[in-house]
Amino acid sequence: MRVTGALLLAMAGAVVLEWALVRPAAEPPWWHGTPGVQAVYGVVGCVAIVLVSKWLGRWLQRPEDADD
Amino acid sequence: MTDAVHPAFVYLAGAVLVAVTSGRWRPAVILTVPAVALAVVASLSDPVELRTVVFGQELHLLRVDAWSRLFGLVFAVTGLLGSVYGLHVRGRGPHAAAFAYAGSALGVVFAGDLLTLFVFFQRRAPRALGAGYRYLLVHGFGGAALLGGIILHAADGGTLAFGAMSLTGATALILLGFAINAAIPPLHAWLTDAYPEATVIGAVFLSAFTTKTAVYALARGFPGEPLLVWAGVAMALYGVVFAVLENDIRRLLAYHIVSQVGYMVCGIGIGTPLALAGAAAHAFSHILYKGLLFMGTGAVLEMTGRSRLTELGGLARLMPWTLAFYTVGAFSISGVPLFNGFVSKALVVAAAEHEHLVVVEWLLILASIGTFLHTGLKLPWFTFFAAPRALRATDPPLNMRVAMAGAAALCVLFGVAPELLYRLLPYPVTYAPYTGAHVLTTLQLLLGTALGFAWLLPKLGGEPTVTYDTDWFYRRGAALAIAGCRAAATMAAHSSAATAAAGDRLAAALWRPGGRAADLAAARIGPWIAAGVGVLVVLVLLLA
Repeated sequence: MRVTGALLLAMAGAVVLEWALVRPAAEPPWWHGTPGVQAVYGVVGCVAIVLVSKWLGRWLQRPEDADD
Repeated sequence: MTDAVHPAFVYLAGAVLVAVTSGRWRPAVILTVPAVALAVVASLSDPVELRTVVFGQELHLLRVDAWSRLFGLVFAVTGLLGSVYGLHVRGRGPHAAAFAYAGSALGVVFAGDLLTLFVFFQRRAPRALGAGYRYLLVHGFGGAALLGGIILHAADGGTLAFGAMSLTGATALILLGFAINAAIPPLHAWLTDAYPEATVIGAVFLSAFTTKTAVYALARGFPGEPLLVWAGVAMALYGVVFAVLENDIRRLLAYHIVSQVGYMVCGIGIGTPLALAGAAAHAFSHILYKGLLFMGTGAVLEMTGRSRLTELGGLARLMPWTLAFYTVGAFSISGVPLFNGFVSKALVVAAAEHEHLVVVEWLLILASIGTFLHTGLKLPWFTFFAAPRALRATDPPLNMRVAMAGAAALCVLFGVAPELLYRLLPYPVTYAPYTGAHVLTTLQLLLGTALGFAWLLPKLGGEPTVTYDTDWFYRRGAALAIAGCRAAATMAAHSSAATAAAGDRLAAALWRPGGRAADLAAARIGPWIAAGVGVLVVLVLLLA
């Protein structure tokens, strides 16, 4: 839990800095001026990659000693 | 024609020299040859060239420009680092094979015409590196496609000069040959099949040279080809999806070669000066950090005898230097600020953004998440931390640590001083990677990925499984061939014992070899079978 808390805190800090320093001068498209988009994408993308891969693994994985 | 020395010939002569040298002189040869080759590459400048005439055909052996100098330089640097890394390895074979391989890669890079390119492209099969006969089988087919394409291209009135080509039936065969070497799915399985089976020194050389010579060839031959944009995106994602399922640390890294080469192929497909510069820069960075990562995992394998996540853990205390150097490579491939991947990957993504390829841009960023997840978090966590196993290991010998330190230093150098890399690129680049927006959004992406990893940790440990990939199709095809051979031998009433034995040998060669004899038989006939199939394809196309 301590690691998760530290990561959340660091992420919040990066989002606040983006809001303060980057947003005022941001140019289109909209995601360049919306703080935290990449943080959310990081979490969602990570979970999506793992879930999709594990789902594929149900068909693609075999025990090491399996003879196909 | 000038008096220039071809750096490939330095390595090829070095391969002979190291094969006939023994005792205390061998280490001197192992270090001197790549050092001389590096000096030769560094001294090459425009418009140096070497031409010769063979059977009435002029071959352009050495063409020096920004592209060839960039790839030649990083190949030569990696050749030197790889030689230092493998200095302690006894025996002539591995060193001679590595030199021949490096020389052939340099031959491709400096080739000015398609025939010279083909000759060096085909010399790169790593017979002595134990990378497996399926590698030879696939590359034999790719080589036949490449040669067939070159012949058809010439017959169509095309020039043999190696430059940008428009897509026709003939050049599609050339593209197929390059695509196999670049490991574009579904033609990629030879890579993830063979690399983890290579020796620790062999994996470093293979990872540095094989796919990157193909990237170089694609960049020169097919810049701006739209097919490559999506092929690159597919590669970038394919590698990270399969890496989740992988238990072997070197196979996990091999899947990330597919993914990283995807960025380069995508950049070549976009084809703008920024995209091509990005592809070149990323290839340069990738060769350095991937070589470093394979050195780190090679050190783990060398010192523990293990390479499966399910058998590793707790090595941080035992191998602190290896962990430190591996971490530099992991941060580089993950695009952490101050490391070289942060700069080069951003060039390709920025090129997609400039061309308003929004989906491509976001999918490349998604692949970047997967890269950090596996190479930066999963692999080091389950290898160096997690549950300590009863392993006895220390950091590897001094030469291996020196090589890793050298590669790590270069990853940091080009990360903190990107203008050093920009100077080498084939197009002028003004992109500024160290803006507040880029640094902060990258940090958010990495922290978000780390958060996802922390939440999903129980699901991410290695499992004692193997994963089917597209090699399943030719393995399954081989199984059918085995059945066919056996049935034919049985059904033939006058079948002699010798015929049956020959059928069995062929079957064993086509299927997974069970022993050394079958391996040797496979190595002998595999390329011929593959080349035969390739020639058949060319003949069909000629007749069509």
